[in-house]
Amino acid sequence: MKDDITTRWLLRIYTAVIFIFIFAPILASFVFSFNSDRFPTIPLGSFTWHWYVTAFSDSDVWSAAEVSILVALSSALLATAIGFSAAYTDHRYDFFGKKAFLVLALLPPTIPLVIFALATLGWLSIFGASGKVVSIIIAHTVLCVPFAMAVIRLRLNQMDPNLEPAAWNLGATEWMAMKSVVVPFTLPSIVAALCLTAAVSFDEFAVAWFVSGLNKTVPVIILEILTGNIDPQINAIGSVVFVVSISLVVIAQVLVMGRIKKPETV
Amino acid sequence: MKKLLNVSRRDALKAGAAAVLAMPFVSRAWAQAVEINMLAWYGHGEPDMVGAFEAANNVKFKPKYYAGGDNMLALIAQSPPGTYDIILSDAEFVQQLNVAGLIEEMNAADYPFDDMIYDDFKQFPGHWKDGKLYSMMVRCGHLGVSYNTTAISEEEAKSYKCYWKPEIKGKVGHFDWHLPSLGQMSLLNGNGAKLWDVDEAGWGKIKETTMSLRPQVGGYFDYGGTFNGLKNGEMMAMAGIGDWITGVLEKDGAPVKSVVPVEGGIQWTESYSIGKGTAKADIVKKFIQYMLSPEGQAVSAQMAAYPGFAITNGGRKALNETNPKEAQRTGQMDGAPNDPVTLIKEGRIHYRDIPKQQTLEDWNDFWQEYKNA
Amino acid sequence: MSEHRSDNSAYALAWRLPMILWQGLFFIGPLIFMIAMSFFLVKNYRMEPALQVGNWTKTLSRGFFWDSYFLTLWLAGLAVIITTCVAFPASCFLAFRVSDLARRWAIFFLIIPFFTSYLVRIFAWQVILAQQGVINAGFSLFGIGPYTMLNTKFGTMIGYLTLCLPLAVILQTFSLANIDKRLVEAAHNLGCGRLRTIFTVVVPLAKTGLIVAAVFCFILSFGDFVAPYYLGGSKPPTLSIMIIDTSKSGQQWPRAAVVAIMMIVTMLVVALTAIGYAYRKRR
Repeated sequence: MKDDITTRWLLRIYTAVIFIFIFAPILASFVFSFNSDRFPTIPLGSFTWHWYVTAFSDSDVWSAAEVSILVALSSALLATAIGFSAAYTDHRYDFFGKKAFLVLALLPPTIPLVIFALATLGWLSIFGASGKVVSIIIAHTVLCVPFAMAVIRLRLNQMDPNLEPAAWNLGATEWMAMKSVVVPFTLPSIVAALCLTAAVSFDEFAVAWFVSGLNKTVPVIILEILTGNIDPQINAIGSVVFVVSISLVVIAQVLVMGRIKKPETV
Repeated sequence: MKKLLNVSRRDALKAGAAAVLAMPFVSRAWAQAVEINMLAWYGHGEPDMVGAFEAANNVKFKPKYYAGGDNMLALIAQSPPGTYDIILSDAEFVQQLNVAGLIEEMNAADYPFDDMIYDDFKQFPGHWKDGKLYSMMVRCGHLGVSYNTTAISEEEAKSYKCYWKPEIKGKVGHFDWHLPSLGQMSLLNGNGAKLWDVDEAGWGKIKETTMSLRPQVGGYFDYGGTFNGLKNGEMMAMAGIGDWITGVLEKDGAPVKSVVPVEGGIQWTESYSIGKGTAKADIVKKFIQYMLSPEGQAVSAQMAAYPGFAITNGGRKALNETNPKEAQRTGQMDGAPNDPVTLIKEGRIHYRDIPKQQTLEDWNDFWQEYKNA
Repeated sequence: MSEHRSDNSAYALAWRLPMILWQGLFFIGPLIFMIAMSFFLVKNYRMEPALQVGNWTKTLSRGFFWDSYFLTLWLAGLAVIITTCVAFPASCFLAFRVSDLARRWAIFFLIIPFFTSYLVRIFAWQVILAQQGVINAGFSLFGIGPYTMLNTKFGTMIGYLTLCLPLAVILQTFSLANIDKRLVEAAHNLGCGRLRTIFTVVVPLAKTGLIVAAVFCFILSFGDFVAPYYLGGSKPPTLSIMIIDTSKSGQQWPRAAVVAIMMIVTMLVVALTAIGYAYRKRR
């Protein structure tokens, strides 16, 4: 095609600028986390580990990390299980009220978190279930189900529709076919859904802030520092959380890559 | 189904193991300490305040922070009874806590009332009911004009009128709570000691005065935002605060200051109460005693999040010994011209209170209207 | 496969019910409760079940509620327009001008922001945009500024962009990349200019994806309270800040619920209209 060089370069530079905009705050918080100034500006202050030391010698941060991990893992498992069942249902069945079923499955992300948090707090306190770790898990699962369902549904789309019937014809029960055909085929997406939902839960603060009571998660601590004694500990905590969750994703990626070949050829 | 769960569990274990490897110290000795749930303004549960007590008594404070008395009442009302073992409340809200039956009676003999630096503090309004003590005052501070010294002169800062200075248009911030900001407007209107006790006409005037400030306003901030705004030069004056925020910045070298203007200033007062139904009343009592001891008072006066005044003679003495510079900066020396006690005696300071002729809701509604104007 | 399409066997129900039960109990339940709550009374900072319309009349009769309502609508709308326009050229570039491998890498990088805390990114912007912040320090080298960027609508917009832009680029890129390239080439061969091709061929073909991206931007910015609070100085407050203010001070949960319901209704109307438009068959 007769691409003139200028347009090409302009587009390239433009896209680079977009990426710079997206990454500026991420990189900045990394840099600030090692900067001695409490309110960083140019020129930067000296290099320091101070904010990391302060943040991670605070037991509140560690107990928040425990709560966050527990919540992220539990809601990821629950949401992925529920999301899988919903995706499979959508893939295989047609039934009265299926439209409503899909709306129900995909609606949660469209409700602003503050509103959902408000409603959940009121609802759960009727059952005396507010202000507990389990309240966060319940709410986060609701938020995560649509993501898990979407990811797994995409994978099911790629499955040959004759695969399951073939297994039945060979004498497998529906449960056996599920176990030996559907689950192996969707495994990469299941793992991806687990990671994605864990990450969504791990970063969610609005709902956690409302319903958590005294059980703070890491983002709630960050919010508390932001509203309270604002300081670069935020950057230190944020950077560590970022590194940990990215590593988890990479680990998951490796796990998936290791397994992906087998189910693909089923 | 089974397979699905198995797989998930295995992956979860792996992910969990990775997470645990990444954080080798997740479960440390803190787990064994007795946990004390504290409801307080930001900073009261931080290591600089409670660290020494925690170490000496093998306890661990679990703080939940709020901003503003209404916020505190809201938080407490939505938690089951007995959730909070100790509650740090603004003095003017103690009464409401008591009416709602949220705090325990205290024994006055446990606390150093004889050593109080000022007689009013012994019988602080709302802390006693029918001769019974319900809350123990622990610290206080003064609110006035907080300003950036490069934008406002000392002379100008002697009146709340400086908020209207044309040069700082868009650079006047508000601490996002109606009580202190509207209280200052009431003082500016000349209500003096009756600042909380204004009739309909007076309330209308306060609203009018406040609204006329709106074009000057650059934002409404929580504690962190207030702090940030003053420090990085976004805001040149801040209404509704005092040395509790500028003091932190001043110590950090920022050109900011707070003074009590001629119209008068407002005193914030913080008091500890024991949460109703707590099983840890004894250790909480011990903690309150510690905070009122000379050592605790000196720590409290220098709290990292925001400084306050020592309220016992012993505390003031301890502060003068451990940090004379800070004692001097805040006038906590006998005979200093800005000695907080002297200011109170001169009638320039009024205790923060809740509106007498309007409801908190009225004030709050107007505040929302103001913010949206 | 079709033979099993509509059965109600135990097996089928075992897959159908978990989602219905969970989302019904913990998603629809709270929302219905919130509607009920909007008729409750508050006495002494505690909610009491009641059936009175006071919260509705009081909230909806206030001028400032409507000011805030239209402001929020306007800000979210503006965020949608800016995000869509800003993202589009980059998405075109990623969809048409780079190799598959490069595109995959680009998507990977665009996903990274979702693994960083939004709060941390906003805090970083606070530092970058401040009067004595990084950008103004940069400007001062050229002898211009300082400009006030924090606590303005500009600040709020930066926050909304931080929230929406990565997602918008991803969704737009996907929908553009799915376009049948032969149609674009055909247009070129027929002598259609580049810009004209984009607006008469590419945009209509990618309409669904572009609108879905825009709807997400609208939903995210309409409901976000962090950007207008920490970068906009709540001046004036958006509806989501109003919800927090109302629930925080005075325990006015019922009135906060009224604001929340108004928000949900607005969002549903906007989203459904947009989606309806997106999937409408072209004549």
